[in-house]
Amino acid sequence: MKFGEWVKTLIFYEILMGMKATLTHLLHYKPITLQYPHEKKPLPPNYRGMLALLRYDDETEKCVGCDLCEAACPSRVIQVYSAEVPGEPTKRYAKEYYMDMTRCLFCGQCVDACPVDALGMTQEFEWAVYDKRNLQLNKQQLLAIGDRAFPVREKRIEFQHPNVAYFNVSFGDIPQKDA
Amino acid sequence: MAESNNQDLVTLTVDGMTTSVPQGTLVIEAARQVGVMIPHFCYHPKLTPDANCRMCLVEIEKLPRLQTSCSTKVAEGMVVKSNVPHVDEARKSVLEFILANHPLDCPVCDQGGRCDLQDFSHQYTPTTSRFTELKRVFPKEYFSPLIETQMNRCVQCMRCVRYCDQVMDVKALAPSGRGTLTEIKHFSAHELDCEFCGGCVQICPVGAITSRLSMYDFRPWMLKRTDTICTYCGDGCHITIQKKQDELIEVNSTQGVGRNNGDLCARGFFGYHASVHPDRIMHPLIKQQDGRFAQATWEEALELVAEKFQGIKTAFGGNAFGGLVTSRCTNEELYLFQKFMRGVLGSNRVDSSARFGHVNGTLPLLSVQGTHRWTATFEDIVDADALLLIGTNITETNPITGLKVKQAVKQGHAILVTMESLLPARGTISNITLLATHHLPVRPDHYHIAIVGLIKSVLDNGLVDPGLETRAPEFFRAIKAAIDSTSWAHIEEVSGVSREVFSQSAHAFSSSTRGMIIVGQGVLRSPRGAEMVTNLLDFLILTGRHGQPGCGLCPLAEENNDQGAIEMGATAEFLPGPIAIGHHDTRQALSKLWEVDLPQEPASSLMEMFRDAQAGQVKAMYIVGENPVESLPQTGKIKEALESLEFLVCQELFLTETAQLADVVLPACSYVEKDGTFTNTEGMVQPVRQAIDPIGESRPDWEIFSALSVVMDQPMEYGEARDIFKEIRSVIPGYGLVGPVATRPTPKVDVVQQYLQEGFAHGLATRYVCTQDQPASDTPFLLASTQSLFHSGKFSTRSKGLLQIQSSGAIMLNPSDAKKLGIASGDSVCVSNAHGAVTTIARVLNRIPPDVACFPEHFDQDIRCLFELHIDKESHVPYSKLTWVRLERVEKGDV
Repeated sequence: MKFGEWVKTLIFYEILMGMKATLTHLLHYKPITLQYPHEKKPLPPNYRGMLALLRYDDETEKCVGCDLCEAACPSRVIQVYSAEVPGEPTKRYAKEYYMDMTRCLFCGQCVDACPVDALGMTQEFEWAVYDKRNLQLNKQQLLAIGDRAFPVREKRIEFQHPNVAYFNVSFGDIPQKDA
Repeated sequence: MAESNNQDLVTLTVDGMTTSVPQGTLVIEAARQVGVMIPHFCYHPKLTPDANCRMCLVEIEKLPRLQTSCSTKVAEGMVVKSNVPHVDEARKSVLEFILANHPLDCPVCDQGGRCDLQDFSHQYTPTTSRFTELKRVFPKEYFSPLIETQMNRCVQCMRCVRYCDQVMDVKALAPSGRGTLTEIKHFSAHELDCEFCGGCVQICPVGAITSRLSMYDFRPWMLKRTDTICTYCGDGCHITIQKKQDELIEVNSTQGVGRNNGDLCARGFFGYHASVHPDRIMHPLIKQQDGRFAQATWEEALELVAEKFQGIKTAFGGNAFGGLVTSRCTNEELYLFQKFMRGVLGSNRVDSSARFGHVNGTLPLLSVQGTHRWTATFEDIVDADALLLIGTNITETNPITGLKVKQAVKQGHAILVTMESLLPARGTISNITLLATHHLPVRPDHYHIAIVGLIKSVLDNGLVDPGLETRAPEFFRAIKAAIDSTSWAHIEEVSGVSREVFSQSAHAFSSSTRGMIIVGQGVLRSPRGAEMVTNLLDFLILTGRHGQPGCGLCPLAEENNDQGAIEMGATAEFLPGPIAIGHHDTRQALSKLWEVDLPQEPASSLMEMFRDAQAGQVKAMYIVGENPVESLPQTGKIKEALESLEFLVCQELFLTETAQLADVVLPACSYVEKDGTFTNTEGMVQPVRQAIDPIGESRPDWEIFSALSVVMDQPMEYGEARDIFKEIRSVIPGYGLVGPVATRPTPKVDVVQQYLQEGFAHGLATRYVCTQDQPASDTPFLLASTQSLFHSGKFSTRSKGLLQIQSSGAIMLNPSDAKKLGIASGDSVCVSNAHGAVTTIARVLNRIPPDVACFPEHFDQDIRCLFELHIDKESHVPYSKLTWVRLERVEKGDV
């Protein structure tokens, strides 16, 4: 055995190295526990919190009612009932939109699936309720969450991209579809 | 189009797999048979190859360049490669070209999720495109109320255009413009006006043509499919009902399935909303003292019916009951209804709506050849080389049988002889007379004399089957004598058809080897219907076509289960089978099976029931799904008869005029809410399956009969519709046991022999006598209540889709008559005769013959008062489709 190793064995070098972090904290003591709800931890920008429906800058809903979020959702949170926009023939939108947040596992697949970026994940997470029914959200509630969480809205362009041609625009010369 | 025999087989290799296919097969079809799916847009098995999309390119050894597999026919020793890299490269390039202009609006496109272009893009293309140019944009045009086009999505495969032309023969769509700027348009300046068969919607590989009716209501992956049978006519088309939760979304049909092979008509494609109409009766209704209906529970309603029925049975006996059932019910329900009437109530007064005309076809078939079904199938129509269509505007009444006729004429080059009142004029919907080799324009009341003329030309031109004179000398002499009593001059004068046309038609028919006669409602639902059908059977026997393979007389059923109603014994003269009601052995067997004594009283049919009801002999009636108050004219005094009843039970979907007279109304299910079987016009028994839950508290008809019998202490209990079908099979051995193709019965030799020896004499004294109904000078127009392509009975007028195509009736006139009367389309016209006067709207149509006016029977609530009721002495069929009227123009201010 070499001398160096003999000294390390003598002073329990490995144990000291293993306890280094612990012992350092012992010297520079600073509490880690946050006094929630008085103190809150800053969330990362890509935090996957409460879901929200978004609007364009002209207050129109972004959602086109394509049901892709419903298809993408692994736990069947979303229910979309699509229809033609009243007064705007051939334009599609979600007439009704429901989310059952009791089932949501915040995987964000609906947000990925959305072709028009109508869904967003907010930084909200304080959604504990006394009644589970309060977690059944409808379109108005989801839009309200979006309104308060995303004050800066995307600009609406009728022809979103020249290579997309028409996308969900209304045609005045077509009669409205019967309900 | 006979099946190829083994000598014509060609062996080829596709992607290393060797297969043998008949000569003339396309490479794409051969590849499909070995399981290689070659991507394609413009190819469709029903259409001729067009090879315009270039998607189906494959490499064929020893041929320069890549070949389109949809237009290349197989050859011996051919080696086809579809999975080599440069074929993939070619497909990638083709898709890149198509996607250069296709908008990326899949999220809002109704086809997204079942789109060929989407699938192929995922399979073959990178996610980027080299095209940086702007996409072409077509100005959006209003196309039609039910069919929506989005031409930016079009890949210009021309499938819709070719389908409309080649299959439907409507030619409503056409490409306009050149190159990438080609768009599909309809010819007219106004919105699309066509048959609305929905074929273009079904056949479009992308979302360029979609149904406006279900637009944005669904995404394809949400739909649950139910394969069932359409209920709108006797053709028995296979339909797939697509639902989302319990909401009916759309109807389509799969190519290669069912009797219709994926083709549908407007009624089948757009008519599905009738079942979920908000006016459906949701609960049992019991009439109160004040004459209003009050909602009741099933227990209350059934107990009341049972109590009343028991009371009447004890007081007056079973013969005081009358029962009428609609042929739109399933076989199981028709069987159970007649079992209920005969077994539980003990009445022989049972009838169904097959009485309105279909019995006129079945009774002669039974007496002449001993079969109650067609002796031919739809396939025989396609293979026929001569077709004689009598009194049927087949494209409107039975559109899918009509497609078989079109196929026979256009692809098989069959000779088509039409005897029909409509003129061969081109209109917005197809007209079978345009395809006719010989057209005999005969007024709707002159079919009888025209049939006599046809037989006379067979006799006069020596076209009679050579063996017949020796085989059945009495028959031949008697028919000849009967025919000779009518002179050519008389026939020509009355029918308006010249002797030459008759002989040409007779020559054309008798020179064929596979000749079929198709008889429509014009004959079956008009006076002397049964006689005309017997005469036509004589015509078949005389020309020697009777009993030959692929030949026969085919009466077309109007209602989906007319044929089943007769086979289930839901008509006065038949027990299930159909076996004559007096047949001793069958009665014994049924008594044993049902554990009751069958009633001995003579059977009475529909009109006799109403007559006896008025006379007070019938005390109670059980009407299932029929509305005689509306379907028969006021002169029949149906309402009075029903009002004089002590007790009337109606089992209905809607509160119809008849149901309003009822004491108890029981809510029944429509065809989408129950299981069972329908028997179509050619005798094919096909399964009907439940697609949605019953609406409200409604129950399937068979369940109601069963429940009622239990309350009446004579239980007929079944767990499901299939159990009833098992019982039907025990009564009619092998019923519904058919393979993929309906087995065709052949005429029974002994019955035909008996007919040729003595049976023919029955009614011979009258059935060839030509009578003529002269119009009175003040009522010169013959008003015919006709069927329409867009409606069937009164059920379809509850369908919002069909109402968008045709929402009201208009009196249809010939342009020359209209000119004479100073009437233009849209004018108000007063239609009057001795029975009353009605003001309606005129519509001038080229195909209406002179001196005839037509009105669609589906909207005849007002005009019905002008018709009279005639009852056939032999078959007891009530006729009310023709009347004589006077037409006058009404100024707008006078209305």
